[in-house]
Amino acid sequence: MAHSGFDIEIDDFTLAGAKRGDMGACERIYRLYQAPAFTVAVRVCRCRELAQEVTQEAFITAFRRIGQFRGDAPFWGWLRRVVINHAISALRRQPKAEIVEFEEYQAWDPGEHDQIGMAMGLESALQELSDEDRTIVWLHDVEGYKHQEIAKFFGKTESFSKTRLARARKRLRGLIESAISDPIANAIA
Amino acid sequence: MNISLSTITIHQDPLGLRDLPLLKPDTDGWTTIRQALEEQQARQRKQRSAITWLAVAASMVLAVIVTTRQSGIEQPLAKPVATQSTDLASVDNMDKVHSLISLSQTLESQLRNIREETGSIPANSAVYIAELEDLVAQVDTELSYSPDSVSLWGQRVNLLLDLAQIYQHHWETEYGQMASL
Repeated sequence: MAHSGFDIEIDDFTLAGAKRGDMGACERIYRLYQAPAFTVAVRVCRCRELAQEVTQEAFITAFRRIGQFRGDAPFWGWLRRVVINHAISALRRQPKAEIVEFEEYQAWDPGEHDQIGMAMGLESALQELSDEDRTIVWLHDVEGYKHQEIAKFFGKTESFSKTRLARARKRLRGLIESAISDPIANAIA
Repeated sequence: MNISLSTITIHQDPLGLRDLPLLKPDTDGWTTIRQALEEQQARQRKQRSAITWLAVAASMVLAVIVTTRQSGIEQPLAKPVATQSTDLASVDNMDKVHSLISLSQTLESQLRNIREETGSIPANSAVYIAELEDLVAQVDTELSYSPDSVSLWGQRVNLLLDLAQIYQHHWETEYGQMASL
């Protein structure tokens, strides 16, 4: 089963080094979580450039506050929360960002073409969702957050998260089905 | 067991979004992150040394004040004794003045550094700072008439320490806000 990519355990030695402000340890952590952090930031912000800024800011905050990490839960969960909080507040600061960038995938062998097509279909369908709907569906379906936790990120109620998730999934299904039934029209559009 | 696990997976991710690959940023952000962290570490080191210095300065002022008060109590008892002790007292007085002057100078230079490091100050703190700076100016005027006054130099040092405390409080508040992000 594929996962969000964030759930990578980190050794105590590296963590202790980062808490002491050791740059080598901080860099190891950054290299380990850079891609999952950037991925979730792109999914929330819908813009690679903004996501890159968000990722950097989130790592800076995380390393500054790493002393506050108590260690009673996995480090990656704590770090992921920092990244998501940064991404959501960046989205609030720039709610009308219209930069939509599609991820381009390349198939290295002919057997991968279907998978690539599916991934690109999902990508473009995700871009069609509103910022909140896209974030909620990603946080729930990929990152595995519960409605209560998602509601906290947005400062709203659990039912808000449930309603938005149902709506987002329905919209995504519709977009994917129409892309499959009318690929030429969609390609032209 | 397998069936229930896949059911959970489908329930959680019915559209297969988890199958999308991880994305990588176009440029490496580590240099920017490292720079920001190193700048912050340098700032913290400066603030820590300034705070330590201020604590030392405060304890020195306290020691001078206590000594001055003690000698103030002892002076009436010493009066009937010969003029030689008066000379000794004046030498002692000048020592205190000199140590307060050097303390005052060092505090001034520390405050200059602190001011450079501090960004915008909230309006209420700015008002206190302005009032304290006015008081320092008043003490300076009085010192121009009696430059050897232990009491005036003591007042000046105390006012500078009060100023430093306002900046320190501002840092602590700022750091608290940053930590709660």
